[in-house]
Amino acid sequence: MEEFFQQLTNGLAVGGIYALIALGYTMVYGILRLINFAHGDLFTLGAYLGFTLLVSWGLSGVLGGLAVAGVLILFAMGLVAIAGCLLERIAYRPLRNSDRLTAVVSALGASIFVQNAIMLVCGARSQVYPTGILPTTIIPIFGVDVSAMRFLMFGFSLLLMLLLYGFIHKTRLGAAIRAVAIDQDAAKLMGIDVNRIISTVFLIGPALGGAAGVMVGLFYGQITYDMGFSFGLKAFTAAILGGIGNIPGAMVGGILLGVIEALGAAYISIAWKDAIAFCVLILILIFRPTGILGERVAEKI
Amino acid sequence: MKKTFSLITVMLVSLLYTGVASAADVKIGLMAPITGAFASEGQDMQKLLELMVEETNNSGGINGSKVELLVEDDGSTPRSAATAASRLVAKGAPVVIGTYGSAVTEASQDIYDEAGIVQIGTGSTSIRLTAKGMKRFFRTCPRDDEQGRVAQETLQKLGYKRVAILHDNSAYAKGLADETKALIDAKKSAEIIFFDALVPGERDYSAILTKLKGVNPDAIFFTGYYPEAGQLLRQMAEMKFSIPLLGGDATNNLDLVKIAGPAAEGYHFISPPMPADIDNPAAKELIKAYVAKYKSQPSSIWVVLAGDAYLVLVEAIKHKGPDAGAIAEYLHKDLKDFEGMTGKISFDDKGDRVGDIYRLYKVDEKGNFILQPK
Repeated sequence: MEEFFQQLTNGLAVGGIYALIALGYTMVYGILRLINFAHGDLFTLGAYLGFTLLVSWGLSGVLGGLAVAGVLILFAMGLVAIAGCLLERIAYRPLRNSDRLTAVVSALGASIFVQNAIMLVCGARSQVYPTGILPTTIIPIFGVDVSAMRFLMFGFSLLLMLLLYGFIHKTRLGAAIRAVAIDQDAAKLMGIDVNRIISTVFLIGPALGGAAGVMVGLFYGQITYDMGFSFGLKAFTAAILGGIGNIPGAMVGGILLGVIEALGAAYISIAWKDAIAFCVLILILIFRPTGILGERVAEKI
Repeated sequence: MKKTFSLITVMLVSLLYTGVASAADVKIGLMAPITGAFASEGQDMQKLLELMVEETNNSGGINGSKVELLVEDDGSTPRSAATAASRLVAKGAPVVIGTYGSAVTEASQDIYDEAGIVQIGTGSTSIRLTAKGMKRFFRTCPRDDEQGRVAQETLQKLGYKRVAILHDNSAYAKGLADETKALIDAKKSAEIIFFDALVPGERDYSAILTKLKGVNPDAIFFTGYYPEAGQLLRQMAEMKFSIPLLGGDATNNLDLVKIAGPAAEGYHFISPPMPADIDNPAAKELIKAYVAKYKSQPSSIWVVLAGDAYLVLVEAIKHKGPDAGAIAEYLHKDLKDFEGMTGKISFDDKGDRVGDIYRLYKVDEKGNFILQPK
């Protein structure tokens, strides 16, 4: 039982990261019906920006551990949001009215571009965040020792998700985003500036991805220019699992995927961890083709 | 069909590259992972060889002719290795040094063999690479079965009775894990209570470590590469899971200490010896020059083994000229106990390096790799 709780907390922490990244995929899909393949690389960009800020500003000497983390995450979120917005302007907006496949190819191209740009600027060697920034406190619960940072990581992911949920459901801008997701033309007729809404979505999604990037860097230390691929793939899976285009779906999907992976590794086989996670995905898609919380949509990519 | 295709590729590429070098130069190819997962290895191999070539040329070259180093990136993947190999063939290098990963080397072996080129692997320890009867393939690194033998002995000597073995499903890591397990089972020197693989390239290994903690082994032997070993050490410290972790030679990389931080202290790994621990003043000079030029140590032993490959090639060319056939024959028959940077080098009929090479290393509290007495 102890091991079960331990594995559950392991899974929740990773799941929180998956969920944050998955939100970026799902928001863009919801509004443009486009899989933003470059999203995983924006996550990497966030991790590298956080690293650069941390090292060049020498923050860790001035502020306390958690304050450093907070400042880094905020800055990385802002910068990655700008990058996301630029990405939309350059790679997606000119193709808004063209064939959907064209936009997907453009997304793949953008992904390759961002990944290689990071490699050329920052080098192919992995970078490592300085150690000792975060406290290594351990909290015992239910007879299990859990690192406080895992809680914090999960809690912070959850906080960002709740803020986003509140924003989408309680504000005028949020209502406009929902309207554009349902029907762009009708939204336009209602006086909603669709371009502005799409830009907003490309600010929020990448910002969350960037936050996840810094969190991974701070907690696990090592960052590589190609880490966006494996995290992106998992997050994309999580978005589909929860029902792509659906914001609570991405949160549920991400957390669920993390937990399934951890428990699968614990009770079946470590080597088959990914296979188990994807089997669950296939099973869910067989019985619920739109994902756990997804609504019926006419067509998908 | 495959042959025609590679032939056409070679012809096309050679059209692009003719007339780059002057005729009198001795061309030495380097195929290394300049990008991709093992980029830190490949980039340092390139740095070290550039330095060595510079020194050779400054001291008059080999028998008066200058050395020209041709570098191609294998991208850490078999796919790009085939392209890199075709390009080096097209550029007309009679000898090629490389590469790091066994699977990557394997993808290039046939291409070099068909072109009659001498290839010296630097980090490709997989057993089957030299079991194909290729007359012109050599390697300066030892083989996995040798490492398995030393791993079993080391685990026995350190007195671990309940051992967990963890690999990463790569050809190299699984081979070493299987080899070690078979030897331990045969000699009944310990009980293997855990044998499984992690997924390389991920960040969070807490699920695996929690499971390992549950089976409570005396020690864990991890046969994979340094990024994962670093993460394992780091997360073991986070969990306060303090049992010895031992690793294979693919964890001999300074990045391990960078990733693991203070948690690297006490980590043991087996590896060929490093220049600092070898009684060879020339090698120590060279490493000093490297540090002076690039402001960091060569990141791993594999970089140094690429340097060894260069040294034996220069020696062979000095005696036989830049002819691939003669060089291969010289390396097989005449080169005996050559003073390399990782100890004495001789090759057997298959092209494998002969001798007892592996040593045990331990990471100290400052993150230095300290040679353990035998």
